[in-house]
Amino acid sequence: MHNVWLIAKREYFERIRTKSFLLMTIAIPLLMGGGILGGAMVGHKTQSNSHIAVVSTDLQMATDLQNELEHGKHTKMVVDIISPPGADTRKVLDGELADKQLDGYLWITPASNSHVRPRFLWTPKSRADIVTRGAISEALRTVMTTETLTHQGMDKSDVQLLMKPVELDSSQAGKNDDSESAFFSAYVLFFLMYFVIMLYGMNVARSIIEEKTSRIFEVLLATIRPEEMMAGKVIGVGSVGLTQVGIWLLTAILLTSTSLVAQATGSNFHVPLTAMQIVFFVVFFLLGYLLYSSIAAALGAMTNSEQELQQLNMFLVMPLALCMFSLSFVIPNPDGAAATAISFIPFCTPLIMYMRISMGHPSWLQIGASILLMIATIYAVLWLASRIYRVGILMYGKKPNLPEILRWLKYS
Amino acid sequence: MAIVELQNVCKAYGAKIAVDNLSFRIEPGTMFGLLGPNGSGKTSTIRMMIGITVPDSGTIQLFGKPFDRNVLKRVGYLPEERGLYKKMKVMDQLVFLGQLHGLDAITASKRAHAWCERLQITEAIHKKTEDLSKGMQQKIQFISTLLHEPDLIIMDEPFSGLDPVNATLLIDTLVDLRKSGKTILFSTHRMDQVEKMCDQIALIHQSKLVLAGSMREIKSQYPRNRVQMNVTGDMSFLQHPSIESYKDYSGHVEIKLRSEHGVEPDAQALLADAIAHGSHISRFEVTEPTLEEIFIETVGTVSETNPTGGSLDA
Repeated sequence: MHNVWLIAKREYFERIRTKSFLLMTIAIPLLMGGGILGGAMVGHKTQSNSHIAVVSTDLQMATDLQNELEHGKHTKMVVDIISPPGADTRKVLDGELADKQLDGYLWITPASNSHVRPRFLWTPKSRADIVTRGAISEALRTVMTTETLTHQGMDKSDVQLLMKPVELDSSQAGKNDDSESAFFSAYVLFFLMYFVIMLYGMNVARSIIEEKTSRIFEVLLATIRPEEMMAGKVIGVGSVGLTQVGIWLLTAILLTSTSLVAQATGSNFHVPLTAMQIVFFVVFFLLGYLLYSSIAAALGAMTNSEQELQQLNMFLVMPLALCMFSLSFVIPNPDGAAATAISFIPFCTPLIMYMRISMGHPSWLQIGASILLMIATIYAVLWLASRIYRVGILMYGKKPNLPEILRWLKYS
Repeated sequence: MAIVELQNVCKAYGAKIAVDNLSFRIEPGTMFGLLGPNGSGKTSTIRMMIGITVPDSGTIQLFGKPFDRNVLKRVGYLPEERGLYKKMKVMDQLVFLGQLHGLDAITASKRAHAWCERLQITEAIHKKTEDLSKGMQQKIQFISTLLHEPDLIIMDEPFSGLDPVNATLLIDTLVDLRKSGKTILFSTHRMDQVEKMCDQIALIHQSKLVLAGSMREIKSQYPRNRVQMNVTGDMSFLQHPSIESYKDYSGHVEIKLRSEHGVEPDAQALLADAIAHGSHISRFEVTEPTLEEIFIETVGTVSETNPTGGSLDA
C-alpha cells in the first residue's frame, strides 16, 4: 500500500502543478458559464422584431393581424398595412425587400366565397427566418379563429377568454419547486461527469504510454508490482479529476448561493443542488472513473504511442456515447423500462443511474443493485486490466493482436 | 550460500524461446559478467531474477531463498533501457525512487547528495531531468540504482552509450563497491570491455548457456596460442607453417598458432623467421585467446543479427 501511495502522490502533484491543470480549472467553468449566460440572453431575444408589410383588400383582417403581431405575447413586430393594393405594390415591396428596408411581406388574397379560406402568400427576405414565419402563422390562426367565432355571433370578450393560452403548472409535487433548473443542473452534472471521466480516463492511458516511452516503468517494476503501479496511477490521476470537479462544484455553489448568476442573467435562476445529488454525483463519478480508467490503463499498456491509442479510443468513447444517445429515452421517462434497463448496463450505470436519481424516482433497491453490479464489473475489469497491464507494459514494438492479448491473460 | 542461483530456468514468449535450461550461481562478493550477443536472452534472464517476469520452469533463488518480493529491497537494478521522469527535478526523482526502495525521504536525500558529489554532478541537482545531457541522465540513473545500498547490484548493459571517461568512472565505482563486499552482476555484449574486471562469467548464446565459471579457469583451459604483432616491411613470414590463421590490419597482425591437444605452441621459430625475412618488428606478444575468441571458438559463429523483432527482449 505504501508504494501505491507513493506512486499516487507523485502522479497527483506532478499533474496539479502543471499549467494546463490551472488553465482547465479556470477555463472550463468560464466556458460553461459563458454558454449558460449566452444561452439565457439569446433566450430572451428569440422573439421576432421584424418589419413586415401586410397587403390585403380586407382591411379588418389586416388590422387584426397587425394588432396581434405588434402587441402579441412573443412578437414585437412593426407591421405596415397596404389596403387595398395598387397596381405596382408588388414591385415596390420587392424593391424594399431588396433594399433590406423590409423583412418580408404577406399578400392576402380574399376567398371567393365564405367556405374557402383566403390565400396567404408570404415572401420573406430570408428563408432562414423561421421565427418570423412561425409568429405570422400563429397570429394568422388566432385572427382567423377569432374572426370566425365573432362571425358566428360570439361575444368579443368570450372569444378573448377562449383564446387565452392555458397555463401549465409544472411544479413536481414534493420533489422540487423548480423542476426546470433541477433538470438543468442534472444535465450540467451529467456532462461534467461524462467529460471528466473521459478526460481523466484518457489521462491514465496517456501517462502509462509516457512511462512506456521513457522506460521508467522498468526501474519501478524492479521494486513494485504492476498492480501497485496501476492502482497508484488510477488513484493519483483520479484524485486530480476529483480536485478539479470539487473546485468547480464549490465555485458553482458559492456563485449561485450569492445569486450572482441570477443578477447577471436578470432572471430568477439558481442551481438547486441537493445534498443527495452531490453525494450520488461523487459516488457515481468515482465508480465510473474507476471503471473507465482501468479500461484505459489496459489500453495504454497495449499500445506504444498516442497514435495507436487513438485507434483504440473507441472502447472508451463508444459506451459513453451510448449513454449520450440513450438520454433521449431516459429524460422523457426516467423511471420507464428503457431507462431502467440502460441504467443497469454497467458501462452506462454511472451516468444514466445518476440522471435517473436526479430526475426520477428509482427505488433504493435499484440504486443499491446498480452500485453492486458496478463494483462487480469494476473488479472484473481491474482483474483483466492488471493482467494485460502486467504483460503489455513490457511489450514494445509491434501492436499485439487479439489472440496475443488473450494469451497474456493466461500469463501469471 | 550463493547470492543468485538459477536452476534449469526456461522462459518462452509464445513460440520464441528466450531462455533455455539455464543454470548458474553467483557467489557473494564477485563481479559476475553475463555475456552474450544481442538477443541471446540476457535481459530475459535478468528480468526473471528480479521478478518482473516469472520463469516457465526451473527455480531462481536470491540470497539463498526462493524468490520473494521483500528481497528486492536488497537489490539494485539498472535496466538496459534507461528511463527517468523527464519533467521531475533530479533530487525529487532520486528521493522518489529511494522511497520506493524503502528509504525515508531524509536518508534518500542525504545519500543522493553524497552520490552526486562523488560522480561530479552536483550542478544538476536542482535541474529538471529533461534539461540534462544524456551522460548526466545515465549517472542519475546509476545513482538511483545504488541509493538504497543494495547487496546485489544488477546492471543490464551498463556501459552502452557511455563515453570512455564516464565508462571508466562507472567501472571504478563498481570495483570499489565490490571491494566493500557487494555482489555485482552485469550483462554486456561487448566482451572485450569486461575481460579485465570480471571474476566470473556466464556466456549465453541463442538462449543456451555455452560457458560458465571463473575467468581464470576458463582462460587456463585455452593454450597461449595467440600472437599480437606490430610489424612493417616484408610480410612473407606469415606463410610460416606454425601459423594456423592470421588477420592483417595493416601494421597490426593477429596470429593464431597451430596447437595440438592444448599443448602450448612455440612462437620462437616464428619470431626468428620474421627477423630473418628482415621485417621491422616493434611488438611481438604471445597471449591467451581473448574472451571473444573463446566465444567464437565455442559457438562457431557469432550471429550479429537481432532475431527479437518486437519481442519482450528489447
